[in-house]
Amino acid sequence: MIEIQQLRKAYGSILAVDDLSFGIASGETFGLLGPNGAGKTTTINMMVGVLKPDSGEVIINGVTDPTDPSVRIQIGNAPQSLALYDDLTARENLAFFARLYGLAGSHLKERVAWVLDVVGLSDRANDQVKTFSGGMKRRLNLSVALIHDAPVLLLDEPTVGVDPQSRNLIFDTIERLKSEGRTIVYTTHYMEEAQRLCDRVAIVDHGKLLAMGTVDELISHHGGHSTIEVEFASRPKLPTNLEGHLEDKLFKMVTAKPLEVLNKLIEGGARFTQVKIERPDLETVFLNLTGRSLRD
Amino acid sequence: MNKVLTLGLKDLRLLWRDKGAVFWVLGFPLLMAIFFGAIFAGGGGSRGGIKLIVVDQDQSADSRLFVSVLSSSDALNVFTMPLDSAQGQVRRGKASAYLVIPPGYGNSFAFGPGEQASLELGIDPTRKAEIGLLQGLIVQGSFKRLQAQFANPPAMRDQLGRQIDAIDADTTGTEKTGTIRRLLTHLDRFYSEIETDTATDSQSATETDEAFMPTPKIEVVAMTDDRALPKSSYEITFPSSIMWALIGCAAAFAVSIVQERVRGTFLRLRIAPLTRAHILAGKGLACFFSCLAVCLFLMVFAHLVFGVRIDHPIKLSVAILSAIFCFVGLMMLISVSGRTEQAVGGIGWAVLLVFSMTGGGMIPLLFMPSWMQTVSHLSPVKWGIVAIEGAIWRGFSYSEMALPIFILLSIGISAFTIGVMVLARRDS
Repeated sequence: MIEIQQLRKAYGSILAVDDLSFGIASGETFGLLGPNGAGKTTTINMMVGVLKPDSGEVIINGVTDPTDPSVRIQIGNAPQSLALYDDLTARENLAFFARLYGLAGSHLKERVAWVLDVVGLSDRANDQVKTFSGGMKRRLNLSVALIHDAPVLLLDEPTVGVDPQSRNLIFDTIERLKSEGRTIVYTTHYMEEAQRLCDRVAIVDHGKLLAMGTVDELISHHGGHSTIEVEFASRPKLPTNLEGHLEDKLFKMVTAKPLEVLNKLIEGGARFTQVKIERPDLETVFLNLTGRSLRD
Repeated sequence: MNKVLTLGLKDLRLLWRDKGAVFWVLGFPLLMAIFFGAIFAGGGGSRGGIKLIVVDQDQSADSRLFVSVLSSSDALNVFTMPLDSAQGQVRRGKASAYLVIPPGYGNSFAFGPGEQASLELGIDPTRKAEIGLLQGLIVQGSFKRLQAQFANPPAMRDQLGRQIDAIDADTTGTEKTGTIRRLLTHLDRFYSEIETDTATDSQSATETDEAFMPTPKIEVVAMTDDRALPKSSYEITFPSSIMWALIGCAAAFAVSIVQERVRGTFLRLRIAPLTRAHILAGKGLACFFSCLAVCLFLMVFAHLVFGVRIDHPIKLSVAILSAIFCFVGLMMLISVSGRTEQAVGGIGWAVLLVFSMTGGGMIPLLFMPSWMQTVSHLSPVKWGIVAIEGAIWRGFSYSEMALPIFILLSIGISAFTIGVMVLARRDS
């Protein structure tokens, strides 16, 4: 459904997106992960035609020009920075954007009521946005992307700066949209969000694609081994084929097969008071791929 | 077109909800028009030093005394010159009025035979406030002149002697002139006694005499023969206030374009199925309709409340629409003059205020010195005012309207084109 081919964009001497290519299937939820300044928003902006790539192509449903109105009407976008009219009410904001997408009359009213309900703002529909909390604004920002019932949703960090309740509601909303078969591109740097929501994930940094696949694939390829930590009741005699580190009664070992290690310890007659196995997650993958240096 | 209307209506709604913007667009121009209209119409009192040209055709001691009395007034700035020059000065608006003291003024006396000599006051009717004050000052000057005469027994006796001689020389004398002669004789005797009695208080005599002093005759001549004039000061201040309203609208919408960019809504508009032309047309349309609504309100208000004429609605409509078009173009140009709301707001108001100051938005064009009127050619505010005044009271023909309208449209098209080009270049 969406094809990104060798996309490249530079701002002066800074290369924001560097030869980026990936494809997204219809109905898929695709996570675009990267630290700040990785090129995620630039990629999204090129996908919606706001930015023109220096080279490469964005193909959406076979159309190579994302500024084509027939393409734009298929895309709902929730930009990272809130894009709402503070002096209009929630309902007026939604109705305004809905009209731009050709909605009118009773259909428009139904859609406005539906999205207000989905994002939990029906009670505040007639209040001006400037009276909303950050979480409410973020939910309304998301709802504008849903107003015209677009099959493709581009959600650029939709949970930035929101409280846990709003975040949870946003997750529920996205899962609901996902179950309806929409194609969702989700950018974030919160790994647990990607792990929870995304079918596939692409990790980008400095504009380059570092890795792409399902969360399990990424963990198995880039996550490294699990860590097993055991606290013995008394200092044991370890089997000779275990290469872990024993300090007093505490044993620690990095291994691809932690359960096998545990089994060997039990067979050796060890008695332990505590066992902890840490499996690699997406964050481990992310840090392994993008490094641990701070980003501005 | 529906999308453009949707965009325009949204901007109108946003403008209406921004109370500060509404004040600058509607409240401030209205207050300006009413405030300055009231001042120029007389509500504000004297501006100090009213320029009065005195044409002394009598050249008598009495007329010179009268001129010196007028000159001593702090409220007057008195000059003397021949009648032709004085009339020209008033016609060109360089003096508020001229006053002719006719020959024989010094010999005329309220109780003498024949007509009392009349003063001629030539006025500029646009200076209504000054004229009212001026007439009062002239009457006051006359009284002071008479006071000075009554307080001077030798001069008074000389005057009375001339009056009695004139009555004696009049062969068509009536019973009334006989009565006046007896009165003048008694007065002459009275002043004779004052002259010999140094203990007499001359002030008390003056106070007594004031009681029968007649009001001087003043014939007012309006200098309206060779130019069209506004019927009231509001016909000058309301065209200026319309320019202020357009300035307010242009500044408000220029800032709103930057606000859209800074607050991210412009991005939403750009990813909607709209062209850039839709977005800009929507902004332009909203600005246009805001300007139109405010201009209509101001003109209807001016007409109903202050009697500002709408004798030529077609010319007035063309003038106002051209001015609006010009300021919509300027709005677009100003919107790209900076990248932040503060920058655009600051630059916008700075430029527009200079246009207003030089173009007659603050000081009416009529009152500007000639060099300032030359500078004002560079200001679209001036051409807007000229076009609207042309339709209201300057009595412009269509061919005379053509120049200001052409200039307004040219500025509008040029500014809009440059603004759109800069905006497009920034977006790409």
